[in-house]
Amino acid sequence: MYARDIMSPRFHILSPANSIAEAVKMFHIASVEEQKRIFGLMVIDEKDQLVGMLSMYDIILFIQPKHIHVWSEIEDLEAHAIFGELLDRVKSVRVSDIMTTNVVTVKPQTHVMAIADLMIKRHIRRLPVVDGNNVVGVVYISDLFYHLLEKFL
Amino acid sequence: MKGLLVEEAMRRQVIQLSHDVSLDKCINQLIKFKVNALLITDETRCPVGAVSKTDIVGAFYGGLPIAESLSMDIMNGPLITCFPDDELGVALDLMRRNGVHQLFVQGAEPCAMVGTLSYSDVVALLYRYCRACPKGAVRRSELTDCSDQTQLLIVRDAMSTSVISCRQEDSLARVIEGLTAHRLGAVLVQDAKGLPVGVISKTDIILAYHHGSSLEVEARSIFKAPVASCDENSLLSDAIRHMFLKDVQRLFAYAGDPSRIVGVLSLSDAAHIRSGSCRACITSRIIAAP
Repeated sequence: MYARDIMSPRFHILSPANSIAEAVKMFHIASVEEQKRIFGLMVIDEKDQLVGMLSMYDIILFIQPKHIHVWSEIEDLEAHAIFGELLDRVKSVRVSDIMTTNVVTVKPQTHVMAIADLMIKRHIRRLPVVDGNNVVGVVYISDLFYHLLEKFL
Repeated sequence: MKGLLVEEAMRRQVIQLSHDVSLDKCINQLIKFKVNALLITDETRCPVGAVSKTDIVGAFYGGLPIAESLSMDIMNGPLITCFPDDELGVALDLMRRNGVHQLFVQGAEPCAMVGTLSYSDVVALLYRYCRACPKGAVRRSELTDCSDQTQLLIVRDAMSTSVISCRQEDSLARVIEGLTAHRLGAVLVQDAKGLPVGVISKTDIILAYHHGSSLEVEARSIFKAPVASCDENSLLSDAIRHMFLKDVQRLFAYAGDPSRIVGVLSLSDAAHIRSGSCRACITSRIIAAP
């Protein structure tokens, strides 16, 4: 069993020039259309090259205040209002500014056990499947999970 | 601050890149992790220098192509370092003498950097001490029946009165010249009537570089509004809290009217006060001095 057998051939992508607000909307659209929570999206440039991945973690890491530990000690905090102001400052930031650029990929012929090994060792939840220069699918950890543990279903 | 060590304030995450990565990647990491400088390593993963936001701004001004230029082309060395068991005061002096906003914290091995220390890390630690201190300004300012305000430091005590500004129609090249000439992290942007309308920081400039802007675009295209500001008579502790909550490095100080900017308070100014936010600590330091 190989990556091509368990990958999702349908995937949503982001452009490096997308704003963070556009990325958040795309996460929502992708989750609705795929009928499962999508926590990370591939970033593909105008030449159809995979240039990065953007996860919810990347966005939360960026929007959280640098000194979050000080926040936790201030009791009378109206966090919602303050966070609203912080989000205003994200307007000028694009996907390319905060995406992860060292993307680990697999080939369609990569064996599922090799995929499992990669996901465990590198703490990866999704792996783009690349054939030559083109992205042909993505393997989510849930795809792998249900494939390997199908016997229990 | 006496007795406080670097290890109490430092961050334990060191963002490091190889000397042969592009400036594009450097900017991505500076923005993503909100740090002032990156550690640059050689092929053996030994530190060889640092790339700061200032270096990136210089690369933009110098017209270096962002995708082809490498970190080794613009990095600074040798590294300015301190040790985890150095006193914070010593580290602050080191930062000031070398004109840097971030130190790398060296571990037992010369090649092992175990953390970073910036002015804001120092202020954050002091702020937490002030909150825990029963005599501290942070607690006292929360009390409505507080009558003795004379011990409390105000923004005017720590701010710089030298405010550098530019006009909305100024080019980015001119803004960079202003920042560089005065060794500043940000400039105030004013409209035609001289009223403050926004701020441009080094972060805004490196974002413009990353997005492919030219040096000729106008300041109005990248400035951040509104201006984060406070009254010059505000309590220093309130201003510091304001900076942490808004996640900004500086507040512009006004005299009564928000349109009348008279100074700027940065986290580095606050760090240089060194004794938290009230005079109680300063007095104790003078008494304790030999």
